[in-house]
Amino acid sequence: MHKMRRASGCWSILFLRRWAPYMLALAPLLFVVVMLVAPTLRLVWEGIWGQDLAMGLSEEAGTGPAGNAWSIVLDPDLRWRMGWSLMQATATCLLALVLGVPLAWVLARWQFTGRELVLRLLMLPFVVPTLVAALGVLALWGPRGWLGAPLAAAGFELEETPWMLLYGNLFFNLCLLVRAGVQALEQVSSTRLAAARTLGATAWRAFWRIEWPVMVPWLASSLCLVFLYCFSGFGLALVLGGQRYATVEVEIYRLVAHELALAQASRLALWTMGLNTLAALAYAWVEQRLASPAHVTPLPRRQVTSLTQRCVLATVLLVLFMVSGAPLLAIVLRALLALANTNSMALLLNEETLSALQNTLVFSTLALCFSSLLGVLHALALHASEIAGWRKVAARTASFLPFAVSPVMMAFGLLLLYPQWSASLPVLLGAYALLAYPFVATALTAALDQLPASYTQAAATLGARPWRVFWRVTLPLISPALRRGASFAAATALGEFAVSLFLSRPEWTTLTTLIHQHLGRPGASHLDAAMLLSALLMLLTLGCFILIETHDRSVS
Amino acid sequence: MQRRFFSFSMALLALSGVLSALGASAQQQVTLRVMTHNSFSLPKETLAQFEKKAGVKLQIVKGGSAGEMLNKLILTRNQPIADVVYGIDNTLLPRAQAAGIIDPYLGPAARRKAAAPMDDKADANGVSAGVVPVNYGYVTFNIDKAWFARQGLSLPASLQDLTRPAYNRLVVVQHPATSSAGQAFLLATISGLGEDAAFDWWARMRANGVKVAQGWSDAYYKDFSKNGGTRPIVVSYATSPAAEVFYSKEKIHTPPTANLFLTGAVFRQVEGVALLKGADPTAREAAMAFIEFMRSPAVQHDLQTSMWMYPAEAQAKRVDALQQHAQEPATFNSLPGTALHANARRWLHRWNTVVLK
Repeated sequence: MHKMRRASGCWSILFLRRWAPYMLALAPLLFVVVMLVAPTLRLVWEGIWGQDLAMGLSEEAGTGPAGNAWSIVLDPDLRWRMGWSLMQATATCLLALVLGVPLAWVLARWQFTGRELVLRLLMLPFVVPTLVAALGVLALWGPRGWLGAPLAAAGFELEETPWMLLYGNLFFNLCLLVRAGVQALEQVSSTRLAAARTLGATAWRAFWRIEWPVMVPWLASSLCLVFLYCFSGFGLALVLGGQRYATVEVEIYRLVAHELALAQASRLALWTMGLNTLAALAYAWVEQRLASPAHVTPLPRRQVTSLTQRCVLATVLLVLFMVSGAPLLAIVLRALLALANTNSMALLLNEETLSALQNTLVFSTLALCFSSLLGVLHALALHASEIAGWRKVAARTASFLPFAVSPVMMAFGLLLLYPQWSASLPVLLGAYALLAYPFVATALTAALDQLPASYTQAAATLGARPWRVFWRVTLPLISPALRRGASFAAATALGEFAVSLFLSRPEWTTLTTLIHQHLGRPGASHLDAAMLLSALLMLLTLGCFILIETHDRSVS
Repeated sequence: MQRRFFSFSMALLALSGVLSALGASAQQQVTLRVMTHNSFSLPKETLAQFEKKAGVKLQIVKGGSAGEMLNKLILTRNQPIADVVYGIDNTLLPRAQAAGIIDPYLGPAARRKAAAPMDDKADANGVSAGVVPVNYGYVTFNIDKAWFARQGLSLPASLQDLTRPAYNRLVVVQHPATSSAGQAFLLATISGLGEDAAFDWWARMRANGVKVAQGWSDAYYKDFSKNGGTRPIVVSYATSPAAEVFYSKEKIHTPPTANLFLTGAVFRQVEGVALLKGADPTAREAAMAFIEFMRSPAVQHDLQTSMWMYPAEAQAKRVDALQQHAQEPATFNSLPGTALHANARRWLHRWNTVVLK
């Protein structure tokens, strides 16, 4: 009798172990299907089989080069757009890698005053609204900017060149790579590194043979993100690159939002989604192959002492400042100047600003909690599942799905699929969470890959139940990654880049929407107000990061 | 820390529960769903007065730019997401009409003569296809006065002047596919010059370095020389100089910008309000009250400085800011709705080929 009960207990544990990953995966899966997959498919369906909504405006729909799936290959303009989108995304990835790796190395290995601040400031570009960021970039490099004006006088005009767009891409995305690099270097075992050095390897050789292999999966994940962001980004490309260097996503946006030419847009969107999926697959494959669990005693950081080190540090920080810091500083300076403008203060010191501030805080916190929960479930399900090989690669790829799908398609699909819900707060918050949660999921997946199974096995052997193992062992060990993911998620929620695509209500005005409202009206005070609000948004974000990462090893 | 984080999120979840419960209790009275574009803005008090008087709860839904908003309405026409729409203008009206999303309104506001008719097919009171005009404005060039004074360059006297080398790389316009100002300006050139001559002019403007921005905000705040750009001529609105005075840094009495009314470069935009087909029948009365409200003295007064438009109510008094700094142009261009409907997309593509490709 006793034995039988024990046996049935065993069975239930086995049953749980077999099905637990699926149960964990249920919530994120359901969420992604309801919020993203179904709406997008619905819109594609409408585009291909539905009534032609472009109506009188559409010319010969269904015929000519626009009418078949290969139109992208056949139409020279679309071909150029697709090629250019790919090229600029790849170029940005390469540049980010070249600039980001030394930066990450210095930030991870050396100790110097202000290091923590640099790591936190790094994330600020993420929250600045595109137009404001562009104004910052142009204050520096524009034809009338501090550096741009002398350059223009010397015959180098940067405006409307691809360089401007690449610079803007780097401004927004360098932080992704640097943060991942720092995190990766924390995972390098100090004993292995010491062994290599004792055996006579130079610092350079030790980097390539010991540190670099550990970094690759982390860098792959962030490069994949950079690629997806650049490939399907649209605000920045237009503002800085001008119409010629607009990306495919801009074309999709125009076709969907302004022409309702859903058939053409769907074809284009399917192409870009396919390419995005390839990028995500590449990342998943790299991570699958290279990630290996290891006991890690991280290397203690060294004080910067010698002159050479100081010079290297200064150079690396200068590069960072020129790419990410200076445009932000330009915005802050303009905001400080705006403080003197009493009229713009009058525009801001009212109930509207206060309620926008409140909305920003409430929405971001809710989105952060929701996306963290989903991200944790997603990563745990992936970790616990016993699938392997291509199925695991596919499952990893899926975590990038929210970034691979065109936000315009998703927003209009939501409208079509759930018209009655489209102007409701849950949908808006769901959209925020959807765009934020892959950050948590991918950061945690990487962290869990590095976690040796022996830790949790030891706890289980000592009699801890799965929940307790998770709470006391796994969670504390992955918490730095959770915090890193959460800060990106928070930054995404605070900056809410795709928010203009969704229906909004005046009572939900956030700081970002308020900035756009001010920039939508003529008058110097509105511009000043927008600058002040942007500075406030940055300050708020900085506060958020400090709160989220208080006890993070890699930062403090 | 984990525990604190956990309890914090629990508290937030509870808070959100309370908030949604509060939201649910407020939905007992009739809710009127109003779809508008992002530029819609009226003082909170004015809207609150309407809610009180009509005994409804207003739910303003912003659907992006006017064009995006209309497309969202067309996409959801089988299950309308709003009961009444504000912001359909004369360039969008033919499309809204063809999509069959409008339910004509015939109440008192539709029987008072408006200062500007919706379009060429409008009745004697300015109502067309049941859309009631609320306000109007002019899309036209604005210039940076200080720039022209500094450079000692004379102002262009015609559109053709702008294609001369003296005005090389001085103009910024908006993309007509993504900006209603850009579209209105394109239509003004077609109406003023005739289609072929207009596209010929655009081709010469391209050669003369015209810049195309995505939307009004980019053009005005990034490219216009008054705000840090390099282009002293921008496509904007006839009321923008008045707004510049109103929202200036220091108290000023003359605007830093001025209107440049050139033949073929002034488009009158008339925005209207309309009932939506298939809307919630319980909100119908409130929707009609909202249309009347948009033509009421309070709104007709407030919109002049909240949206910088001229009131459509013929009796409405102009506010000082508009009277002093926003004179209306003597002549303007417009296009018959039928021509617009038949050609809009073709013109867009032609423009794209001529100016960008």
